[in-house]
Amino acid sequence: MEIRPILSAMLRNKTGPVLVALQVALSLALLANAMHIVNERRAVAARPSGLLDEAATFYFEAHNLNNDTPEQMLATIRRQSELLRAVPGVASVAYVSQMPMSNKGSTSSFSVDRNPQGQTTSLGMYVSGDSLVKTLGLQLVAGRDFLPGETVDVDESALRTPPDTMIITKAVADKLWPGASAIGKTLYFGSGEVPGARIVGVVERLQTAHAQVGDLGEYAMIMPARLYGEAGALYAVRAEPGQRDRVMKEAEQALRAASGSPMILTARTVEDDRKSRYRADMALSWMLVTVSALLLLVTCSGIVGMASLWVTQRRKQIGVRRALGARKLDILRYFIIENVMITSAGVVGGVLLGVGLNQLLVTKLEMARLPVPYLIGGAVMFWVIGILAAYGPAWRAASTSPALATRSL
Amino acid sequence: MFGYYFMLGVRSLRRNPFLTALMVLTLAIGVAASVSTLTILHVMSGDPIPSKSARLFVPQFDNGQLDEYSPGAEPDDMQMSYPDAANLLRSGQGERRTAMYNIQLPVEPTRKDLPAFNAAGLAATRDFFAMFDVPFRHGQVWSEADDARGADVIVLGHAMAEKLFGQTNPVGQRLVLTGHPYTVVGVIGPWGPLPRYYKLIGASRFGQGEDFLIPFASAIGHEVPHAGSMSCSGKRDSGYAALLGSECTWIQFWFETRSQAERADLQAFIDTYASEQRKLGRLKRAAPNRLYDVMEWLEKLKVVANDSKLSAWLAFGFLALCLINTIGLLLAKFSVRATEVGIRRALGASRADIFRQFMIETGVIGLTGGVLGLALAFCALALIGMQSKGMATIAHMDWKMLVVTFAISVASALLAGFLPTWRACQVTPAIQLKSQ
Repeated sequence: MEIRPILSAMLRNKTGPVLVALQVALSLALLANAMHIVNERRAVAARPSGLLDEAATFYFEAHNLNNDTPEQMLATIRRQSELLRAVPGVASVAYVSQMPMSNKGSTSSFSVDRNPQGQTTSLGMYVSGDSLVKTLGLQLVAGRDFLPGETVDVDESALRTPPDTMIITKAVADKLWPGASAIGKTLYFGSGEVPGARIVGVVERLQTAHAQVGDLGEYAMIMPARLYGEAGALYAVRAEPGQRDRVMKEAEQALRAASGSPMILTARTVEDDRKSRYRADMALSWMLVTVSALLLLVTCSGIVGMASLWVTQRRKQIGVRRALGARKLDILRYFIIENVMITSAGVVGGVLLGVGLNQLLVTKLEMARLPVPYLIGGAVMFWVIGILAAYGPAWRAASTSPALATRSL
Repeated sequence: MFGYYFMLGVRSLRRNPFLTALMVLTLAIGVAASVSTLTILHVMSGDPIPSKSARLFVPQFDNGQLDEYSPGAEPDDMQMSYPDAANLLRSGQGERRTAMYNIQLPVEPTRKDLPAFNAAGLAATRDFFAMFDVPFRHGQVWSEADDARGADVIVLGHAMAEKLFGQTNPVGQRLVLTGHPYTVVGVIGPWGPLPRYYKLIGASRFGQGEDFLIPFASAIGHEVPHAGSMSCSGKRDSGYAALLGSECTWIQFWFETRSQAERADLQAFIDTYASEQRKLGRLKRAAPNRLYDVMEWLEKLKVVANDSKLSAWLAFGFLALCLINTIGLLLAKFSVRATEVGIRRALGASRADIFRQFMIETGVIGLTGGVLGLALAFCALALIGMQSKGMATIAHMDWKMLVVTFAISVASALLAGFLPTWRACQVTPAIQLKSQ
């Protein structure tokens, strides 16, 4: 191998190789960190919400502008629910207090015992007058859905009497009763001032209204109650697969036509909610992907540019070597090896720089730690890119005819 | 000589078109990436009310329960309970003070052709307008008496006024909110500080202005529920009266002082207030009471998202890469001109002359890259603005950022040109001429 002569040649003219190595190091460091963040954000945005058919699920928020008594409101809720069920193509309807990923919803704290000093857990509170398990298509992993007799009507404007049964998510069950069955256990509101509710079922997954990152995003519970007495009603609707848009339009017309008083009616799909929940994450990830692509382009052009320059500068020397008996392959190998050496130096620097940059992001911006595979993948990629980028100019160098190159000597 | 060198620089752009185009493009992309992220950061972290940002204060008490409290911990609750807000409003401390909460209400226009719609507004006291420099287009703010008796009066945002009443002056007109008729007393002019520092909680931080404002006491009197977040510690019975008496926090409060120096007095007042309340059995945690001025408040609530900082950092890393790349390209460009330098030097040009000529030439490249970079940055910002309404209000460039863009691009080009130029100056005329 001719590493020694290549190295000593490089040391005589350091600027170019240093610049290329620096470019490789910088882009490797940026690229590894950017790709890690992109993958992390996409994974967060792709988490399942627990809904059976997100694409077919939507909801209405209806606000009647009248001065109805709480009892009249309850009657309206029942009437509107029936109206929605009657629309052709509707699979299931639930009158519910909030929707997953909608960014609007309440949480309540619960404890496993009545100890006022004890630990409480904050859970997203879905209060539903109909079977939410059926409408959203949640998957029960233990226990059962609510029985028809367990759903109670609760007047919000009067004293609250919470129902005595509830369904929780698997994430909650695993946290509060690890290794044991949660069915039949009791959860108390707050730190236990109010009678608790018995757990009758556990669903695989149901994200909260805020869909936080981590386990917190699945800390949710469902209560079987039809809350009434405050203006505004939310109906979750699951249409038959593929019929959402038509059903949504017809259902809206049906609600409007049947309303005797002015009404503010807004319809949203779960897909809309998912999009707006993760808009910032997707925007960041697209921005990082764009920058990374430009990064690669600029680095490639840098390597090609510098390699071409060296070939031009050394035309005469190549001619001399060829005249003295060097084969095309020798010239080609010389330039490729030279480039691999420079890229390797850059890769080593890039790995160190990447770890350093990640450390900075972790401490200053609360980002996650960079896994090693990203650095290894990045290093391999830059080696390959380095060789490919150098191949063109090196081939041009190898094709230099010795007669032409030495003519001007 | 500057003009001549400048002409030479412009001409040399054409001499090596591929290499030059690559350089200009690289520089432009680097500048565009860093400038567009910097613009967003600049808008997010700017002082929304420079004239009095050091005189506006948010007080903060910790009214949580004693259990699960570790002494000395910072209060984590950013809003205020109704009892505290009412007491502080009555206190007469500071030059002005206001309590406010977000409301979202259906509005029923008196015009029959317009259907009812939801509007987002604010329940505040009359000081709000003077404190946050809200301009009026028509009419004026409601009176102190209106505040005191909770009169049903309303100040409209200009967009909503136009929607409801067209171009006419709506002062004196009526509209129905939550079933109660409200009289319009004023319309505010174009106003919408970014970020929306006065209500950072429970609403979009980069939204524009308000649809409407009604007196705090009127909203409380009609039991208007708040829109946004609420945090409750301890027991709360149902009903609006119970909410007002509870330790739930849902109100945002601001003080304005006459001078920055009065901050110490205000701090002393809230400390005294907190200890009095403690004697009455409230504020059980002996946590420190805090005052935040506008910039401290923006910092505390992390208005500049970490994601925006990350984008800016990476964009500047990218600019650094583009710079290194440009250095390489300039080296290549200048290295073929050693002969030219040799001849000029032999004809009497000093090293300083050569230095000047080549630096001006790189300056021309920087300027071209800057213009292109600016165009690209506008495209990038337009793209970012399409993400959402909030981003659209953030992603716009002001003249300050325009200047910064040019400074960044020319400075980066000159920085990149320094090493190649210095190398060009090292050319020894004798050797160059001999090899001719």
